[in-house]
Amino acid sequence: MTSITSPETAGPKRPPSAHAAATHTRRRGNRPSGLPWILPAYVFVVGLLYYCIIETGYLSTLDWDGTSPDPVSVGAQNYVDIFNDPVFWKAIRNTIEFLVVTFTVQTALGFVLAALLHSKIKLAGIYKVIIFTPVIIAAATMAPVFRQLFAADGQLNWTLEHIGLGFLAQPWLAQSSTALPAVMAITVWQFTGLTFVLYYAAMGQIDPEILEAARMDGAGNIRTLLAIIWPSVRGTTVALGMLSVIGALKTFDVPYLVTLGGPNYATEFLGTYIYRISIPSAHVGYGAALSVMLLILALVGSLAVAVRANRERRSHV
Amino acid sequence: MFGSPPVRKRSLAAAVALAAGLALAGCAGAAKTETQNKGAADTGSVTWWGWTPDDTPAKAYITAFNKAYPNIKVTYKKLTIDGYNAALRPALASSVGPDVFDVAPGAANGSVEIYGVDAVDLTPAVSKTLGSDWKNKLSPIGVSSLTVDGQLKALSLGAVYSGTLWINQDLFDKYGLTAPKTYDEWKKVCAALASHNVGCFVQGAGQPAFNEDTLQAISDNVQPGWWGQALKGEVKWTDPAMVKTLTIWKQLFTDGIMQKGALGTQQYPDANNGFMSAKYAMVMMGTWYMQYSTVAGSTAAISGAGVANPKPFTQTAVPFPDVAGTGHVGALYGDADFGLAVNKKSKAINAATTFVTWLGASAEGQQLVANILNDIPALTSAKPNWPQVNLVNAKVQQPSLDKLITDAGKSTEPRLATVSADLQTAIGVASTTVAAGSATPAEAAATLQATADKIKK
Repeated sequence: MTSITSPETAGPKRPPSAHAAATHTRRRGNRPSGLPWILPAYVFVVGLLYYCIIETGYLSTLDWDGTSPDPVSVGAQNYVDIFNDPVFWKAIRNTIEFLVVTFTVQTALGFVLAALLHSKIKLAGIYKVIIFTPVIIAAATMAPVFRQLFAADGQLNWTLEHIGLGFLAQPWLAQSSTALPAVMAITVWQFTGLTFVLYYAAMGQIDPEILEAARMDGAGNIRTLLAIIWPSVRGTTVALGMLSVIGALKTFDVPYLVTLGGPNYATEFLGTYIYRISIPSAHVGYGAALSVMLLILALVGSLAVAVRANRERRSHV
Repeated sequence: MFGSPPVRKRSLAAAVALAAGLALAGCAGAAKTETQNKGAADTGSVTWWGWTPDDTPAKAYITAFNKAYPNIKVTYKKLTIDGYNAALRPALASSVGPDVFDVAPGAANGSVEIYGVDAVDLTPAVSKTLGSDWKNKLSPIGVSSLTVDGQLKALSLGAVYSGTLWINQDLFDKYGLTAPKTYDEWKKVCAALASHNVGCFVQGAGQPAFNEDTLQAISDNVQPGWWGQALKGEVKWTDPAMVKTLTIWKQLFTDGIMQKGALGTQQYPDANNGFMSAKYAMVMMGTWYMQYSTVAGSTAAISGAGVANPKPFTQTAVPFPDVAGTGHVGALYGDADFGLAVNKKSKAINAATTFVTWLGASAEGQQLVANILNDIPALTSAKPNWPQVNLVNAKVQQPSLDKLITDAGKSTEPRLATVSADLQTAIGVASTTVAAGSATPAEAAATLQATADKIKK
């Protein structure tokens, strides 16, 4: 009778990790470097992306109008000015409010709509198209529509007046108190479809047996949604969180096209402020410093979401 | 084959250092020199970028130019006002930018102070066209405001002036109204129009650059000449004249003269479209609106406002009402509207110069400018040839236009030419904070002065 012995049992005993490391080292030693394979992409990324970042960093040390052949070096003065710039802080506050509201509302709507459309609902295909269509419409196309919709004599106020809610009618885009919520509403309308699609796909990966087991244990719809489905799509929520942080920091098209960042900076974001400072005001150096701040905030924000997500995952293990 | 790991690390570090070095080297500003091969003067292709004129007058300019120079093909690209600078800057930095581009005095779009560095000195070309006394033949405002460091960086087509209201005369006639001359009359006209469900006065106060026109009109009514002194820093923005100006500005909102939601409205396209579609009867615009007195100009503008089957209506300019009760009315303030500059990097500098000098300095080109009514011509001898101009309602409009052109010719008050972008922003902020009620006129004036002090430093 022949017995088959595995290498582990035949040879001298050594820790599996050490064995794996040795194997890995041996393989790496025999293998040619990967540099030639990544070189085209590496050159492209370094040459384009990092070149732009380095150049922006350099520009941020200048007092320059963008065309003059003799820019003046001002060192870190632009950064000092940023910390004393009330419009910058206003833009940060707006960004935080915008992020919290749009992320919360989009996540709630996207999650609920995805759950609903996973149930046996009639005309589900049509609903999916309706929910997702705003994602593919350019903001530039919709901006005039929303300016008209939210205008003092626009369709929203007209509707309110005709359903007996005329006391709520107001010039939505003309007031600091309502302009930012209007921009948030447009953004939620535009991007809920994306949140919905990602949740819909994530929910499709949940093992049906888990849901069935929950049902057998007596869990109702709400309980199943909150205790089973929500934790199962946590990865999607984290990814959406990161995208929302970056998206909020980069917000430009909707506030610029609908409100021009106004009134009185009520809808100013870093993106709109950078544009106004760099282009119409021709302070390219200061605009570059703001861009660097934007980059730093985007990195810090994304890392914060990732770190928090990792901690939560470990605590659940 | 690829070197040992330490060597690779050193190579990588060197590559990064080289990339950084190249990046930094590439950032350094370089002096901009003219293309050596300037091409032929009477043949070639010329691209022209601008935010003005509209396509209709631009087409007319090019068609007339091609009668004189059939072998120069000119292609006009009209960009939006707000997007012009963003498009122009990288285009001029590249080697494929426009051959001819619009510039303007002051901090307006395409500031000649900023983009003049990319433009050819047109002094020799104009001197050749008009002779050595060329300066005496052109409007001084057009020459001085487009000259940078002693070089004529662009050739003005003409000037624009503001300080007028434009009214829909047909609506006024329909409801038996006359243009308001005082603040009280203005309120009464607005109430009368409202009773017919017609908006009164529309202003895009959410696009603050245009608020300056209205503020300057009020200020000229409060105390003539004060605004210009403030721009020069000769008087403080905290002066009672400015507080009074902002107080009246605020009253326009609270007394229902300004349309509801003005702070959420932009002058272009919203206010312009509101007036062109006859939803509103009055708008604060300048002499650039003269072009809509013609059948072609009016029809195109109304169509552009989204009106199906556009029918031109009678648009006329009226003096800004005596809102302060001082009796000082009729002030106009203006600058060279825009100038045509020739790109130093153009491969058709000579053909581009031919086009620019024909339009900006020749009798034929300037007569066309006068007739199209987009600008008051830079060549002082050029006047509109009325029989050749197809006005919507010549009986009403021609006397009004004649007076406007004559009055504008007497004005020496600058509009935007002496305002920096930062000061323009600060004036805009003062206007919107007062309108929104988040600052009193005195507080806004104090903030404006504080900002102006910082700009000086």
